[in-house]
Amino acid sequence: MSAAAVAVRLVALTKRFGAKTAVEAVSLQIESGMAYGLIGPNGAGKTTTFSMMAGYLRPTHGTLEVLGFAPTAVDSLRSRVGVLPQDALLPANDRVGEFLVHLALLQNVPKSKATDAAVRALAEVQGSDWWKQRCGSLSHGMAKRVALAQAFLGDPDLVLLDEPTAGLDPRVAWEIRQFIKGKKGRATIVVSSHNLQELEEICDGAAILDRGRLVASGRMAELTAANDEVRVKVGRGTRRGSASGAVSVDELRGLPMVRSVDFDEEELEIVVSFERKQADAETVIGEVLSALLKNQVRISGVTKGRGLEQRVMDLT
Amino acid sequence: MSPLAEIRIIAFRELRRSVRSAKGIALSALTLLGAFVASLASVWVEGADRVRSNAASTQAYIELKRAIIEKATGDATLAAFLAPIPTSLLLFVKITVWFSPLLVALFGFDAISGELQHREVRFWTVRSRRASYFLAKLAGLWALVGLVTLALNLLAGTVALARGYVTVGELFAWGLRFWLVTFAIAGAWCAIATFISSCVKTPILALLATFGAFFVSWICGAGGFIARQRESIAGATGLPSQQMGWYEYLYPNAYDTLLMSSEPVRVWLAVGTLAGFVVVFAVAGTLLFQRRDV
Repeated sequence: MSAAAVAVRLVALTKRFGAKTAVEAVSLQIESGMAYGLIGPNGAGKTTTFSMMAGYLRPTHGTLEVLGFAPTAVDSLRSRVGVLPQDALLPANDRVGEFLVHLALLQNVPKSKATDAAVRALAEVQGSDWWKQRCGSLSHGMAKRVALAQAFLGDPDLVLLDEPTAGLDPRVAWEIRQFIKGKKGRATIVVSSHNLQELEEICDGAAILDRGRLVASGRMAELTAANDEVRVKVGRGTRRGSASGAVSVDELRGLPMVRSVDFDEEELEIVVSFERKQADAETVIGEVLSALLKNQVRISGVTKGRGLEQRVMDLT
Repeated sequence: MSPLAEIRIIAFRELRRSVRSAKGIALSALTLLGAFVASLASVWVEGADRVRSNAASTQAYIELKRAIIEKATGDATLAAFLAPIPTSLLLFVKITVWFSPLLVALFGFDAISGELQHREVRFWTVRSRRASYFLAKLAGLWALVGLVTLALNLLAGTVALARGYVTVGELFAWGLRFWLVTFAIAGAWCAIATFISSCVKTPILALLATFGAFFVSWICGAGGFIARQRESIAGATGLPSQQMGWYEYLYPNAYDTLLMSSEPVRVWLAVGTLAGFVVVFAVAGTLLFQRRDV
């Protein structure tokens, strides 16, 4: 991958806090233009990794490049990197508008355009009405949106988002997810989150961390085996066999692109692995469902791959 | 963007924030109220002095003051230089200098520690060099203390003017110089306070540490003062030595006499040493802040 195509590069990155190793020898590359997730349970080291990317924490060992520079090279990265810190409070006494204008000025936006940039950023998160409100008087959801607005202020090339929907009600969380999805393709977005469904929905790729180590990374389809595997949930009481309403494993194995078929009668789940070179997941789903329906099997759900959640559970 | 531009943007915001915050308003109001009382007291002292000294003329009163200042400082040249200055202004500058560390500590303890505690600092460190952030906080605090002490001096000057103890010319000449004395000394205190604030994440700890550091510095100054007074009692001249002990130089307020001197060398020595305070703590603070996790 060329240097320009890599937005973030971590090489053997380690962070220790005294005797405790929070992140150990993590190496990772995030391609430009991707939406990328940092995944892991509590204590996995994702916020520490995120904080090193944002320049908040200094690595103990290893190297870290953000858009080709050290994260502390503020002048070279000015207005090219936006960050949503997870637990940073907005300055309570500042009005929302003046706070954003101040940050725009620091991003080297000319004074004549700083207000416009701030207005636009606030409008994008549906917060235009809060311009004159003090940051301290905003609700949690409103404050999160203002923080999001400052992260995307000036259309940076790389945006780092730490738990963007944590603690928000479902509606606001959904709106923020839509906002982030709307920004995909216009910037490289790195999201650290516990919410695996959210990450699966937003991200093109992810890194899974556990106890400070990188346990898996890659494109989402690779991580979830979405291009290699189809899972079909069947109705309660369904058994293996050739009778009507039963799952004929042999028949499924006979399908041309299928590599293997497993049927877990307890979990009521059929796992069909296939050769991705011979067919895509959609074709396989069609063939498998056709065979099952012909045998009058009751189907309750279909997924491509094993799902990010299952993958994370397997790995951590 | 140049570091200076970053410092300017952050320092102006810091000043605006401090002036508008509840703490800033309350402290400024209390300080001005205290200053008003202090200026009335200074004027009262001057009036009482004039009556008690029973000075037949202004010249006699000045001569009396010269003798008092010489006895206090051991410096005949300085005494001759300061004696014609209105007593109320002299007293007030002493009061302002004495209280400036308190003002600095209360205004500045949370300048950085407050933003470290709630991680507000993270919005700035991705947009400005850490050194600029630190120096802007220092500049903002210094400017704030400078503005407050300017207001104090204007208030005291107005009271003295109303009583007829100073002329408008004296007020501009001496008032401005005395404010500059306070401003220069406050710079050293501001540098120490900002340094401590950048080292501590909890504002209350930063406040205690600042008071602690200022107290240690005051002990150094008080120790030197006592030593010189003892010397004057034991010595033949009856005047304390002009020479300060080395530890007195650790107390920024001790430079007020040098800054008010008629000899440019002494003034510049004091300005240089106070600038040294600012540089040492600014450089140390900047280096530490650049290396710390936020």
